Amino acid sequence: MTQAAAFAPLRRGGGRGVLLVVLTAVLVGLVLFMEELEPLFRAWFPDLDNPLYRRETFLRLTLDHIVLVLVSSAISVSVGVAAGLFVTRRAGREFEPMVSAISAIGQTFPPAAVLAIVVPLAGFGFVPTIVALTLYGLLPVVQNTIAGLGTVPPATLEAARGTGMSPRQILLRVELPLAMRVIIAGVRVSVIINIGTATIGSTVGAQSLGTPIIAGLVGDNIAYVIQGAAVVGLLAIVTDMAFERLERRFTFG
Amino acid sequence: MTATILDDGRRRLVADRVLLTLWVAGAAAVLLLPFASMAPNRLVSGQPVMLWAALLPWQAWTAAGLAALLLLSALATPLPRALAHGLTLAAAWGLALLVLYGIGTYAGRAVTPDMPAARVSLGSAFWVVLFCAALAMLDAFQRLKAGMLPQVLYAVATVGAVAGLFALDLFDDLSILREYANREDAFAGEFLTHLALVGAALGPALLLGLPLGLLARRRAKLRGGLFGLLNFFQTIPSIALFALLVAPLSALGDAVPVLKAVGIKGIGAAPAVIALVMYSLLPIVRNTYAGFAGVPAAAVEAARGMGMTTRQVLWRVEVPLALPVILSGLRIVTVQAIGLTVVAALIGAGGLGTFIFQGLGQYAIDLVLLGAIPTIFLAVTADFFLQILVALSKPEGAR
Amino acid sequence: MIELQGLTKVYGGKTVVDDVSLTVGQGEFCVLIGPSGCGKSTTLKMVNRLVPLTSGRIVLDGEDVTTLPAEQLRRRIGYAIQSIGLFPHWTVAENIAVVPKLLKWPKARIADRVEELLALFQLDAAEFRDKYPHQLSGGQAQRVGVARALAADPSVMLMDEPFGALDPITRDVLQAELARVHRETGKTIIFVTHDMDEALKLATRIAILNEGRLVQYDRPIELMFEPADDFVRDFLGKADLGLKLLTRRWVHQYVAPAPWADRKASMGELRDIVASHGHVWLVDGEGRPEGLFGARLWRADGDPLGELSRVHPDWMATPDMSMKEALSRMVWRRILALPVVDEQGRLSGEVTMAGVMGRQSEGQAA
Repeated sequence: MTQAAAFAPLRRGGGRGVLLVVLTAVLVGLVLFMEELEPLFRAWFPDLDNPLYRRETFLRLTLDHIVLVLVSSAISVSVGVAAGLFVTRRAGREFEPMVSAISAIGQTFPPAAVLAIVVPLAGFGFVPTIVALTLYGLLPVVQNTIAGLGTVPPATLEAARGTGMSPRQILLRVELPLAMRVIIAGVRVSVIINIGTATIGSTVGAQSLGTPIIAGLVGDNIAYVIQGAAVVGLLAIVTDMAFERLERRFTFG
Repeated sequence: MTATILDDGRRRLVADRVLLTLWVAGAAAVLLLPFASMAPNRLVSGQPVMLWAALLPWQAWTAAGLAALLLLSALATPLPRALAHGLTLAAAWGLALLVLYGIGTYAGRAVTPDMPAARVSLGSAFWVVLFCAALAMLDAFQRLKAGMLPQVLYAVATVGAVAGLFALDLFDDLSILREYANREDAFAGEFLTHLALVGAALGPALLLGLPLGLLARRRAKLRGGLFGLLNFFQTIPSIALFALLVAPLSALGDAVPVLKAVGIKGIGAAPAVIALVMYSLLPIVRNTYAGFAGVPAAAVEAARGMGMTTRQVLWRVEVPLALPVILSGLRIVTVQAIGLTVVAALIGAGGLGTFIFQGLGQYAIDLVLLGAIPTIFLAVTADFFLQILVALSKPEGAR
Repeated sequence: MIELQGLTKVYGGKTVVDDVSLTVGQGEFCVLIGPSGCGKSTTLKMVNRLVPLTSGRIVLDGEDVTTLPAEQLRRRIGYAIQSIGLFPHWTVAENIAVVPKLLKWPKARIADRVEELLALFQLDAAEFRDKYPHQLSGGQAQRVGVARALAADPSVMLMDEPFGALDPITRDVLQAELARVHRETGKTIIFVTHDMDEALKLATRIAILNEGRLVQYDRPIELMFEPADDFVRDFLGKADLGLKLLTRRWVHQYVAPAPWADRKASMGELRDIVASHGHVWLVDGEGRPEGLFGARLWRADGDPLGELSRVHPDWMATPDMSMKEALSRMVWRRILALPVVDEQGRLSGEVTMAGVMGRQSEGQAA
C-alpha cells in the first residue's frame, strides 16, 4: 500500500452534512460570543480570578490562525502541485525519485521540531512561522500529487493520446481530474497538520489559537486552555470534514 | 567517449541534472550563507563566519577538490555512469565528514583561553552542505539501483565515522555540545522519558488497535463509525488534545486521591500517554484493516476449503500476508508518536520537547537544537529500522 | 461415492438451492451446470460446507458426514477453484503440502507425494518445487491448484470452474490433462462450469440446475437425446446440438473399411474402384495413405477421377479423436472422407461424411 492510499479517506454515508453545518455553527458561535460564556466558566472554575481569556478577542486569534494556515497552505499547494507536475513530466522525470524521497523522509521529521529549528533561524514571529508551515506543508502535497498522477491508468493515457489530444489537453482534461481526489487528500493532510502546527506557533511568537492554550498552561489557568483548545479543535474538525466532502466530489467510479 | 544521447536524440553535457542542482544549491549556500556563527559569550548574538574563513587552508582546498569531483561526476562525458555514481558516493562522504571535522576544529580554535565563553554555532551553510551531500548520496544509490545491503553498509560506515569524530571530542567546543555538557544528566533523563512516553503509548495502542483493525475487517457495519471516531481524534491538533485531557484528568485526580498517587493527574505523563494512544489508534487500526483486506480472498477460500480451522487460516495465511501492511502502520505511528511527544513537554510530561520549549522561551537556539536534533534523529532512525522490518516481513513469494 | 440428499440453502428468506439430491458413483465425473445464479456453486460449496446447509444430508462413502466438524470433512475432500488461491507466501511444494501437513503426514511421505503430483501434472519437480506462485503462468498455477487439491489423496474432489479464467488454448490442454488424471486416478469428481462444451468434454454425468432446483441428472448422451424439458433443450443449445453430440462420439465408433490401392494399380483398376465407392486412397509401400482420387468437393470436368490429391497430415484421423474434430477437418479441407490411421500411420479405415449422417440417424432412432 502506498502512503497515498494510507491517507485516502474512508467513504462514509450521508448525515455528515448536517453534522458539518452544526459544528460550523458551534465554531462560529464560540468565536464570536465566547465572552457570553463567562458566567459558565466562572461557575465551572470558581477558584480562578479570570476564567475568560481577554488579552485578545477570539475572533482576532482565529483570524490570525486562519491567515497563518491559509497563506502557508496556499504557497504549499501551488508550489507543491507545480513540483509534482514538473517531476511527472518528461523534462523533470529525472528529479522524481529524489523529490519523492525528500517528501517521504521529510515527513518523518516531527513538525514541532521543524518549526522550532526553522523559526529561530529566520527570526521569531509571524513570517518565519509561515515559512516553517509552508516548508512542512509542501511534503504531503508533493507526495500526493505524484501519487495521484501515478494512479491514472496507462490505458487511459494511451486512449487520450490516441484521440489526438495535446499533452496540455491530456493534463487538464484527463490527468488532473483523475488525480484530483488524491491531490486533495494530500492538501487535506497538509492543511490539518498546519492547523496543528500553527497552534504551536504561539511558542515562537506567532499569535494563534495556541496563544490562550500556552498562556493557560503557563499560568495554570485551565479555563484558558479549554477555550483555546475547543476552538482550534473544532476548526480542525470542521476543516477536515469540509475536505472530506470536497474529496468525495472528485471520486469517480 | 561520446556524450550521453537522450531518447529525443539531443546530446547533452550534464548526465545527472539532480546532482548538478544539488551542487549548485550547495555552492550557492557556501558563497551566500554563514557557515558558522561566533559569539564571545552566550548573551551576545553571534557574528556570521563564512566557510573559507572557518576552515583551515588544507580543509578548504580539500573541500574544493571534493566539490570538483562531484561536479565531474554530474557531467556526461568523462566517466562511465557507474563509476561516476561510485565517485559521488565517495566524494559526498568525504565532503560531509570534512565539513563536520572542519567546524569541530574551528570551534576548537575559536574557544581560546582568553575567550573561554566563546560560542560557535552551526550556520545555515553548514546545514545546507550536509543536506545536499546526503541527497547526493541518495541520488547515487537511486541511480545505481543498489540493493538494501550496500546502502545499510554505507549508512553504518557513515554513522561509525561520525561517532568516531564524537569519540575524539572534536565537537566539544561547539555551542550545542556545550549546552549538552551543561545538562548532561538532564539530557539523558529527558531522552529516556521521551522513549518511555513513546513506548508507553505504543503498547496500549497496539493492544487496542490490532484487534480493532481485525474487527473492522470482520464486521463491515462497525467500520464507518470506528474510522470516523479515530479520524476525529487524529484531526484535533496535538496541543489541543493534550490540553483538553488536562482538565478531566485533574478533576479525576482531585476526586480520587488514589489515582493521583499513581500519577493520574492533570499535568504530566498521564494525559500525554492517553493522547498519544488516541493519535496512534487510527494508523494502526487502518493498516491492520487494510492488511487483512488485502489478503487475496481466493487464498482464504482455498485455505478454508482445504480444511484449515479459522485459527489456522488466521495465523498461517492471513497474518503472514497482512504483516507488512500492519508493520507499515506501526512505522507511521512510531514516527508520529516520537514527534508528538515533543509537544507533550508543554503539559509537563517531559521528554526532549522540554529543551525545545525552554530554548524557545530563552531565545537560546542551541538549547532548541539540543531538543530538536535528537528528536529528528530518533524519528529518522526509527523510520529506517522499521522500514527494514517491513521489508523483512514481506514473504519471499509475495510481491 | 458421495450422495447429496435434499440439499437446501435459504439466504434471508430466498431459497437459492432447493432440495437437490444426487448420487455421484465411485469414479464418476459429475458436472454441475446451469445459468448464472442457478445455485451450482452454492451446491458445490455445501458439499464441503463452505456454505452451511439449511437442511439436507451428505453421505461420503456410506458415512453420514453432515455432522462431522467441517475442517475434518474438508481435509477428506479435494477443492480447486477458478481463482486458484495459491498461497502467495509459500512455494509450489509448500502449497501442495498443505493438507498432508494438516493431516500430520511424516515429512518424507509429504515430499514423495509432492514429487508424485508434480509428475502427474507434467511439471518438472526440480524446476517448479521451489518456485513461488507469482512466478507461474496461469496454466501452471492451476495445475498446482489441482495438484494441491489431490495432495492428501481424497476420494472425492470438488472443482469450481477451475479453468474459467484461462485462455482457450491453455484451457483445452488442462481439460485434456484433467481427463487423463481422472482416468488414471479414478477419483470421484464434482465439477462446476457454465460452459456446455467443457461439460460434454469431461463429464460422465451432467446435472443441470435452474433456479436452485436440479432439473435433470443424466449421462451426456441421454441428456441430449432426452432433455427433460424445454429449459434443458434450450440450455443445450438447439443450434449446434448435433455438433455437441459429436463431441461425445469417437472416430473408432464410425470407422469403416477404406477402398485403397497401391502404386502398382493401373488407371483402369482405380477407375473401377472410384465408380463403385466414389473415391480411392493410394497407399505407399508401408501402407501409409499418400494420395486420394475422388472425394474432393470439386472435380475437373469430364474426368470422373478428378485430380490426384496428396494426403495432408491434417487429414489423418486417429481412432480416439472426437467425431466433432474429424468432421471439422473434413469441412476445413473440403473432402468427403478422412483416412483413419493406426499408431504406425498405416491406413486402417476411413470415416466419411455419409457415415456421420448414417450413424447419427441410427442413434436418433434408437
